[in-house]
Amino acid sequence: MKLSKTKAFKTFAGPAWTENPINMQMLGICSALAVTVQLKPAIVMALAMTFVVSFSNLIISAMRKIIPSNIRIIVELAVIASLVIVTDEFLRAYMYDVSKLLSVFVGLIITNCIILGRAEGFALSNPPHLAFIDGLGNGAGYGSVLIFVALIRELFGSGNIFGFSVVPQAFYDAGYEDMGIMLLAPAAFIIIGLMAWLQKYLTTRDEV
Amino acid sequence: MHDQLKSIGFAIAMCLVCGMLLTTAATALQEIQEKNQVNDRRKNILLAVDLVSREKTYTPDEISGLYQAYISKMRVSPDGDIVAPGMAAPGQQTMPIYLYTRGAEIRSYIIPIESQGLWGKIYAYMALENDGSTIAGFTVYKHSETPGLGGEIDTQWFQEKFEGKRIVDKQGNFVSVGIAKGDVEQRVPETQQPHYVDGISGATLTGSYLSQGLKKSLAQYEPLSLSFRKNSLKCRMQEAQPWCETDETEQN
Repeated sequence: MKLSKTKAFKTFAGPAWTENPINMQMLGICSALAVTVQLKPAIVMALAMTFVVSFSNLIISAMRKIIPSNIRIIVELAVIASLVIVTDEFLRAYMYDVSKLLSVFVGLIITNCIILGRAEGFALSNPPHLAFIDGLGNGAGYGSVLIFVALIRELFGSGNIFGFSVVPQAFYDAGYEDMGIMLLAPAAFIIIGLMAWLQKYLTTRDEV
Repeated sequence: MHDQLKSIGFAIAMCLVCGMLLTTAATALQEIQEKNQVNDRRKNILLAVDLVSREKTYTPDEISGLYQAYISKMRVSPDGDIVAPGMAAPGQQTMPIYLYTRGAEIRSYIIPIESQGLWGKIYAYMALENDGSTIAGFTVYKHSETPGLGGEIDTQWFQEKFEGKRIVDKQGNFVSVGIAKGDVEQRVPETQQPHYVDGISGATLTGSYLSQGLKKSLAQYEPLSLSFRKNSLKCRMQEAQPWCETDETEQN
């Protein structure tokens, strides 16, 4: 059997591409606008989010048969919130600068609709290994958009990549200027809008 | 009934497990986090007097090396006398002050600011030149303002505006420094412009709280600033007594 035909691969590739949480489902936009001014916080955010969504899926899926259905949302939130707080504590201990940049947005992973959505929609009705892979796929889908947007914003907004300046001085001497709007949240809106359009175009073209 | 019991039991078990996990994580990492916070505060003190640059990253060792070489933490009485730590008379109220010294000269002094904010307290440092009236630098190291609006107080562009502003008017009276509503050049009369910095759009309340907080803190340290202004308390670091005495006391 080819790798691309296995169920695990489909579980991963679905959310990572065809059902991309940001571009196709328009979820998690708030944090995508806020943390994409520079690449480094965007990558840390993507990793934190991937960690939380995959492990919350794994834990919730493992408990899916014993969670009483009348309190399931609270249980899901308790799992998610605990994971987020642990992530936040680790960031504060080992990546203090980035955690200051991300400020409240690490804590706000709790309210990111992608995570609760996957817990409700996937983890509760699928076995743990698939749920974990689904989490990784969603993290990859979310993270890749974040990193791409951050790359564009940092490059055009401040002429840097990872804080290193990449636009040659000769460009500035010739009259090139950094785009101030790239540093503001509306720029991320525009980029995400264009990406959603591009992806919809590419996926519908395949089907025809 | 049985279902309800099961739900309650499950909820209690869940609380215990999550609670244990979080407590373990918080206590295990607390020491490292506190070190980070101390280091961050020191870095902000150094930033306020331009000893480190915002563009570069520094290791904790570099920060503490610079801090120990140039910054000394002292206490100051409400009358503006500098006392070494532990030398205060019993029951005397003292406030912390950081001195930036080069050799025997005090270049500037750094006042810790604790201000009301919109959502929580704002913690900052304000460095003043040894003339006692010009701001050398301003840094915010902890706040809980809205990201993107009031949260902009921790950005470089906002903090740089404070440099060179004056806390006294031309006659030498204390006026503090405030945050204007909008652009200083448009909103503030020209005579008042040295005492105002540009405001942040969408953060009027944060600005006015911070203005009040700055005024309150600066007023508390005004006696000290006054002695800096009168006789430039700047070059009296003595080997045996690592704090300053003023000529003023002898002249009186």
